[in-house]
Amino acid sequence: MAIKFVICLNKQGVLRLIRLFEPFPGDVSNNQSTIAQIYKLVSSREHKHQSNFVEFSDSTKLVYKRYAGLYFVLGIGLQDEELIYLSHIHLFVEVLDAFFGNVCELDIVFNFHKAYMILDELIIGGEIQETSKDVLLERISHLDRLN
Amino acid sequence: MGSLRTFIKDVRGAKTLAEERSIVTKESARIRTKLKDDHLPQEKRRKNIHKLLYLHILGEKTHFAQVECINLIASDDFRDKRLGYLAAMILLDEHQEVLTLLTNLISNDLTHPNRYVVSLALSTLGSLTSPELARDLYPDVETILARSTDEFLVKKALQCAAKLIERDASLLEIFYPYVGTILKSHHLCTHGGLLGVVKLCQVALSCRPQYEYDNYPEILQSLVANIPELFSLLQDMNSTSFNPEYDVGGTCDPFLQVELLYTLRLMFELAPQGTDRYKNKLNDILTKIATNSDGSKNAAHAVLYECVRTIFALQLDQSLKILGVNVLAKFLGGKDNNTKYVGLNTLLDVVPQEPNAVQKHRKFISRCLFDPDISIRARAVELTFAILNDSNMTELVEELLSFLKGSDDQDKDLIISTVNHLVNHFDSRTPDQENWAIDVMVQVLKVVGQHISLDKVSEVLLMINNGQDLNHKLQVIQQILTVSLGRLEGVVKGDNLAWKLMSVWCIGEYGDILLQKNIFSDTRLAEYLSALNHMYSDSIMLIGYVLTAALKLSSKTNNPGCVEELRQIIMGHTRDTNLMLQNKSYQYSIIFNQPAGLKHDILGAMPFFEKKSKGGSDKVSLQKNMAPPTKPVESSLLLDLLETSPPRNPPTKFHNDVLASQVENDTRTAPLAGNGVYASVPENAAQCYTSSEMAVFMRIKSVGPEGAELELFVRAVVPMHNVQIFAAVSKTQKLILGTLSSASLESDQVCVQELRVSGSGKLKFRIKIVHQGSDMNLKTEQFDHKFDQSL
Repeated sequence: MAIKFVICLNKQGVLRLIRLFEPFPGDVSNNQSTIAQIYKLVSSREHKHQSNFVEFSDSTKLVYKRYAGLYFVLGIGLQDEELIYLSHIHLFVEVLDAFFGNVCELDIVFNFHKAYMILDELIIGGEIQETSKDVLLERISHLDRLN
Repeated sequence: MGSLRTFIKDVRGAKTLAEERSIVTKESARIRTKLKDDHLPQEKRRKNIHKLLYLHILGEKTHFAQVECINLIASDDFRDKRLGYLAAMILLDEHQEVLTLLTNLISNDLTHPNRYVVSLALSTLGSLTSPELARDLYPDVETILARSTDEFLVKKALQCAAKLIERDASLLEIFYPYVGTILKSHHLCTHGGLLGVVKLCQVALSCRPQYEYDNYPEILQSLVANIPELFSLLQDMNSTSFNPEYDVGGTCDPFLQVELLYTLRLMFELAPQGTDRYKNKLNDILTKIATNSDGSKNAAHAVLYECVRTIFALQLDQSLKILGVNVLAKFLGGKDNNTKYVGLNTLLDVVPQEPNAVQKHRKFISRCLFDPDISIRARAVELTFAILNDSNMTELVEELLSFLKGSDDQDKDLIISTVNHLVNHFDSRTPDQENWAIDVMVQVLKVVGQHISLDKVSEVLLMINNGQDLNHKLQVIQQILTVSLGRLEGVVKGDNLAWKLMSVWCIGEYGDILLQKNIFSDTRLAEYLSALNHMYSDSIMLIGYVLTAALKLSSKTNNPGCVEELRQIIMGHTRDTNLMLQNKSYQYSIIFNQPAGLKHDILGAMPFFEKKSKGGSDKVSLQKNMAPPTKPVESSLLLDLLETSPPRNPPTKFHNDVLASQVENDTRTAPLAGNGVYASVPENAAQCYTSSEMAVFMRIKSVGPEGAELELFVRAVVPMHNVQIFAAVSKTQKLILGTLSSASLESDQVCVQELRVSGSGKLKFRIKIVHQGSDMNLKTEQFDHKFDQSL
């Protein structure tokens, strides 16, 4: 049970965040085409009528969710519990939202390093390390002020 | 040189892709030059690395800055360190050699007095753990676990410890005691800390195969001793008064609950003896979770789902399993596609264990057949087949039929697999529901025939052919043809070749009955064939069937106009560019001109067809059809005419030359030869065929990679003349026939035929022996023989 990667794409398939906890399968130098495949797979699915899970390769399943114009996608193992990872995404988005105050795509574009900082307080090496929103927010705002 | 913000704005502002590229390339080059400048102020350096990270998101190459990140980490400024570690986590992975440069830096920072620096180093170590780093840095991580009172550092250190053990299992010995100590420390036991503890447990449990020392049983025991603590944590979280800080949609910290359940599952799986005394308690807790969590939110479902997975993974009590199946059924009944998806997935795993409990919920499963999500439909189909049995067959197959009716083109793969499943299912059933099965398959072809490969259609044709109830059969055929001939537009799609193939076949096989009963006129049938012949000239298989049907129909009608039309269909293909159709039409045209009596014999009704089972036995069934020389080969004639068969002999002997089957392609005839009559067969020759007229033996003279030489001996029982030996080998081989030692034999005389085979694969032969008996009639005998040797 571990997250293999976290990526965030907008509706046009433009990458906004990417964190690989293990390299993408296959050609390492060709991450762009893997991302394009993920986008193709995820964006072709119906938002309302389809589940948020889709098999991606013979070792990886995607758990994704769209929030406004952004797709948040996690790569997990085939045997992993899908539902809980959906909650992971939701928690990440909730914290982003609370931190930026009604987060939008541009917040993430211009402050990608802060989004990464939040991700690093939520997840370490592909494992969730903190689940309390209050603890997370307090910690992050503290870190943010350390300049 | 602008700020990060301006750079991002510039990239976003680019009007064309080319403009964007040029901005990005220029900036990338500029960053590269700047970073080379040793006197660049730190602030500028950071700005450039920020830009570089943005370039990374854009998919640009960033390897040139790897060393620069490491330099930033080495800086004393917290801002530098923070950016350096972030860049390292993003730009590096654990397989890169630069990582060795990090070892000392991380080690220093893990012992840094500033806890934020330690935190950064831990985060980075957790993301980038190579076996070397694991071996070099574990003492620092252990120190934090042993001494630190900072909950943030401890929870990260626990996760890091788990990662280190994953890379080097021997470190388990160092870290496992901390599971117990942290669990007992009230201060450090926050949910974050607990997540680290259970992670450490999970890794400790799953690294057993890699752990080389012999004290693993002790470690396991010490881990298992923590079960009561884990139980009480789970119970607290499922009580009504849990800490609201961790509330997620009415469920207390689903993340931790799921991890706890998973850890318990691993413990009970790996230490069945040590955990036995806790089993009742586990049952109680799982029952409570499964019955109490009735939240409709994803968080509640996640916990329920993990609970059910635990029940089935551990094969707990029957009552719990039934409870588990009911929970999953509830998932299917809901509106949320995510729970439907996991519900179906899990039910598929569970069916073999609890078929009856799953049965009860077939209504929910059937409902999922019509779900808008194809992955849910696909799983529902699979599950439907998994619970299909004699008692619910009618009901479920009806559901599948309506699923097929409602399906569309994007379901193609699913349709094909459904139909394959159905065919296989009917295949393995007793024939008491034969009529119904035929009806179902005809329906299937009607609604989704356009997606089904024409080969599968032959399975349906076989079912019709083998149907025992003649009245029902006639009814079915009448229905089929009413649809086809009645031009009921819309009922069958235009590209539904499968349906057309079936109609054509019915006309060919059952034309006589249809005409006798006056259901359709012969001209209507002929017109239909003719129309298809024009419309689908590119479908070789369909045209092949049309030709056969035309030939058969021609023997069943006396209407000269109609016969002429059928003749035209057949003659039209004698110059077909497709060799198989050309052959077929040529051969058919010969049969066409035979006297009515002979034609009637040749084109009689198809016998009951025994289905070829998989593997080698198909040869046997073919042989059974061929063997009796008294019955001319008509029964298999048509079967074989559908295959490739180059005409070799003069037309008068036409029914002898169609024996070649699809497996063989390289058929040679032995040249007629001299008079070397042998007196006996060598002892090491294996007998491969006997009949009332001859005994045949074969032996291998030599076999090697370059080829094999064999001899075939025919010992005559009765006098034989003009003996000809035909032989064929499989496609991957080439055969050269040597001379036949003698073409005429008296009783007990032996002749020998040499065979040379080259190529690859098993040595197997199909041999046909043609000879004239004393009554001067040609007789044919045929058999297959297989050797154990291969080339």
